[in-house]
Amino acid sequence: MAFQNYKPWLGLTGSEWVGLDNFRYLFEREDSLQVIWNTLIIAVFKLMFNLGVPFVFSILLNELRKMVFKRFVQTLVYLPHFLSWVILGGILIDILSTDGGIVNRALGVVGIEPIFFLGNGDWFRFTVVVSDIWKEFGFGTVVFLAALANINPTLYEAAEVDGASRFKQTLHITIPSIIPIAIVVGTLALGNVLNAGFDQIFNLYNSLVYEKGDIIDTFVYRTAILNGEMGFGTAVGLFKSVISMILILISYRLAYKWANYRIF
Amino acid sequence: MRTGSKKSLLLSICMMTVVGIVAGCSGSSGNKENAQGTAPIETTTSENAYKDKYDPPISITTVWGVDPELRFKNNETIEKNVATQWAKDTLGIELKSLWSVTDTNNAFATKMRLAMSSGQEMPDVVTIGDEQLAQDLIDSGLFREVGSLFDQYASDTWKKAVELDNHVWDPYLRDGKKMGIPVLDYAYNHDYLLWIRQDWLDKLGLEAPKTLAELEIVMDAFKNKNPDGLAPSEVIPLSIGFKNKMNTWMADPSWIFGAYGTIPQQWNVGADGKLEYGSTQAGSKQALEKLKEWFTKGYIPKEAALWDENKAADPAVAGKAGILPGPYWMSGWPLVDTVKNVKDAVWKPIAIPTGADGKAGRHGTKYTNGVVLINKKMKNPEAVFTYQNYMFNNLADPQVGSEFDNGVFKGYDYDIDASGKVLHLDDIPGGYVNSIRYLLVRDGARIPDAQMKALLNLANGGEAKTKLELEAKNNYGTETPAAAKVILEQDSISMKNMFTGPTTKTMKSKMDYLNKIESQAFNEIIYGEKPVDSFDKFVETWKASGGDAITQEVNEWYDTVK
Amino acid sequence: MYHKTLSYRIFNVFNICLMLIIALLCIIPLVHVLAVSFSSKAAADGNLVGLWPIDFTLESYKKTMNNPIFLHSIWVSIKRTVIGTGLTLVLAFLAAYPLSKENSAFKGRNIYSWLFVFTMIFSGGLVPFYMVIQKIGLMDSFWVLVLPGAVNVYLTILLLNFFRGVPKELEEAALIDGAGHFRVMFSIYLPVSLPAIATLALFSMVTQWNSWFDGLLYLNNAKDYPLATFLQTVIIQRDMSSMSISPKEMELISTKTVKSAQIFIGALPILVVYPFLQKYFASGLVVGSVKE
Repeated sequence: MAFQNYKPWLGLTGSEWVGLDNFRYLFEREDSLQVIWNTLIIAVFKLMFNLGVPFVFSILLNELRKMVFKRFVQTLVYLPHFLSWVILGGILIDILSTDGGIVNRALGVVGIEPIFFLGNGDWFRFTVVVSDIWKEFGFGTVVFLAALANINPTLYEAAEVDGASRFKQTLHITIPSIIPIAIVVGTLALGNVLNAGFDQIFNLYNSLVYEKGDIIDTFVYRTAILNGEMGFGTAVGLFKSVISMILILISYRLAYKWANYRIF
Repeated sequence: MRTGSKKSLLLSICMMTVVGIVAGCSGSSGNKENAQGTAPIETTTSENAYKDKYDPPISITTVWGVDPELRFKNNETIEKNVATQWAKDTLGIELKSLWSVTDTNNAFATKMRLAMSSGQEMPDVVTIGDEQLAQDLIDSGLFREVGSLFDQYASDTWKKAVELDNHVWDPYLRDGKKMGIPVLDYAYNHDYLLWIRQDWLDKLGLEAPKTLAELEIVMDAFKNKNPDGLAPSEVIPLSIGFKNKMNTWMADPSWIFGAYGTIPQQWNVGADGKLEYGSTQAGSKQALEKLKEWFTKGYIPKEAALWDENKAADPAVAGKAGILPGPYWMSGWPLVDTVKNVKDAVWKPIAIPTGADGKAGRHGTKYTNGVVLINKKMKNPEAVFTYQNYMFNNLADPQVGSEFDNGVFKGYDYDIDASGKVLHLDDIPGGYVNSIRYLLVRDGARIPDAQMKALLNLANGGEAKTKLELEAKNNYGTETPAAAKVILEQDSISMKNMFTGPTTKTMKSKMDYLNKIESQAFNEIIYGEKPVDSFDKFVETWKASGGDAITQEVNEWYDTVK
Repeated sequence: MYHKTLSYRIFNVFNICLMLIIALLCIIPLVHVLAVSFSSKAAADGNLVGLWPIDFTLESYKKTMNNPIFLHSIWVSIKRTVIGTGLTLVLAFLAAYPLSKENSAFKGRNIYSWLFVFTMIFSGGLVPFYMVIQKIGLMDSFWVLVLPGAVNVYLTILLLNFFRGVPKELEEAALIDGAGHFRVMFSIYLPVSLPAIATLALFSMVTQWNSWFDGLLYLNNAKDYPLATFLQTVIIQRDMSSMSISPKEMELISTKTVKSAQIFIGALPILVVYPFLQKYFASGLVVGSVKE
């Protein structure tokens, strides 16, 4: 299908073969490079922080000694994951408003001029990444907490006997114990590297930030989904899969070579 | 060992999946043969086929894209409900549903395309709202020419309704043949006027603005001398938003362009009689300059570029906006709620203001909202007309005392109490449901000018007698008739999008990019990031990047329907 | 004891404050949704509601609870979540165990795991998938919600990595005692990996609960939709430009308040599950060591 001018009523065997035309269209548009670059930038930042923030957060959370408080925090940070971007988009537009939005009012107190978070290309990317982390980090924490629970308590007991400080214990026991899971989660996330978050961007973007905010998925939505161009949509899907596969392959090799660890 | 056998099980599942895909391919090829093999079957329509009632009943298959807001009661579904029962009893037509889908996120179009791909049975009759899908289905060759059927079977009421604007056929013409029956809708549904806070005007002692210059004075007063005592920073004198488009269904600025003689993002008839794209005309540049000025002065929302239609209506409902542009029906929604937030708020409809040289313009509304397609294989295509003629003759504009005088289905979209009095919709036992939407063709039957005529009669002090008049009086916002009058008095400034044909070749590959650079250029000018003169650069790029080719294709199409 | 040192105390206070602030930031949107759901229609439509309801009313909850389709969709969602999660857990557990072994112990392990990963990354796309569903007769059946996603590669890979963290001595001891792989799997790996399995269960439940696209496409009637599909049809804003409207209908359109009530009720079951699962995060290896 990716190589066809696909027409539903002609089916896979009847549709015209067009070679690489679908792929060519993805790359030959005037704004193709910009769109792919936007996708990469946003996705890479999201990938890094969506791995790093939950990692650090789960370690900090693990230090909380009151069980009730720990579970309380754990539950609250996990809430935003369950609100869709349609809803959050509306809320974000309000709180980030340059015209009395709470964030800009807070910045005003510190003497910072209002920032047009959603209307300025660079700030838009920043907002997209930060709001995504805010929505997802609590959920991402879950897997690390499970890994922390899996650490053998005798290791800490031994370290305690040796007189290691808590910081040292964290550095030498906690972190090494959950790094394998972090590598796994990170590698699997590479499978999403060309998905910069359709729902989010679709609900937040606007004409002012098209240049820096338009990503492959929104572009495909407008050109393929809305117009029923299934061949083109499939071609882009295939392209994304190939890139993901290559990245996963590389990181699998690297993990094996450097850490002698097979991710799967 | 054990693990090995489990693996082979998984492997065999993989194999099955592959086999499934292969089977899918062969299925769709079968579909293709069908499509080509059935072309000549058009013989069953003999002269006397048409019946007012079929006995024994015949069945028609269809598929449904159900409006997410459509409600059901008494455990009914779109497949089986009071309307399907009615059709069987009254017309001897049994409606069979192949599938239905709640039409959100393009689900109907996607499902229709997938059903075609996998060679599923196509319905006898289908109503399509999505333009692109309608064009694709017509091109698929699975649906038949309908013009001859229409001429032969359609009732006079229906024919007359269609003749109000013969352009309604345009999108569905192929080599002069009519391939689909347009679904008529009420005229002017999306034509604009301005809703203004009359109480503010009165307190300020100002007249309703008739020109852009007067409008500016009013907006300035709303903002800086607000009669409700709101601080200037709290007031949005003119609430508009253009997150999606500059030309949409509520709260857009297209009428400002209209004051300079063009409407953006649509095809207008130019001075030379050819179609031209509104956004690239000189008038658009002047309009953008004006918008920029208003933006700088704080007349329009600071975040207009981020606001969609509903968002722009928020401050109006909250009582913080002075003017909200939009269609005539807005008095019923959303503006009806303003008074609950601000006790004295009064919204009144006023005409679109004119520019310096007396020009004004608003975007028009086409008379259709979709198309009915008839399958080539359908045995009794005339049954569609049995059904629809009944609708046009009895439902489109029911007269006093006729069958559908009060509504269509008692206990659903109307009800009568013991004393014979018609109940208010909110008082129907079990709640009002819009059962008219259960009918085969969306909204049953509408004659484009019927609703406006009814409203105009009310606006001129006429008594409400017919169903449409009563409906308008009892259930629409109080200002709706007055608004309808304003709309009709400005009839001459309405500009419809004159290109309604299938997407052209260059449009397919270039239009998205052109739209993108357009909204970017427009917004950057309004927000002062680029000088107004960058408009000329945009027009140049637009033309060079495919705009000229599209204009030519559009005009080639226009020549065929003119 | 490190708890007593001054630097640790300072850190602890700082940490507690930080956690509190972050938790507060995360709960704000939900509080807003709740506030809207308890407010009057006019206040909500004017976007006047912040974090506290205006003109408190339970109207929207009454409306929601009187909607049989909504209630039925919750039931469908619960069914798919329970059955789907059960299936996914069993399959992931069975698949992860052999794949967690060394290459020497399980010949061809690499090929199998790459096969799994391949299916995770490449998919035929919508059209072939739809055809498969159609041809194997899953169309319009409840099982279409459960079966296609039953093998979750992502979770399987996570689980196999957790399995690797299980001390080898436990397994070796059992094998020497003459236990077979199934015994090792169920009496050693299962109890030791409870935190991991709880995580998997949570992920799987959330995925099932939130999936809406499959319901929309593969079920032929709105009355069978799961909750997520139903909610999707409610919260997406309609494009009025393409449809005919009468003012009466506009008035009847689900208001923000009803939408908010539905969103809240819809999220409630899955929110409640998490605190319940949390107790498994604290156990895990402790159980395993005790057993030994």
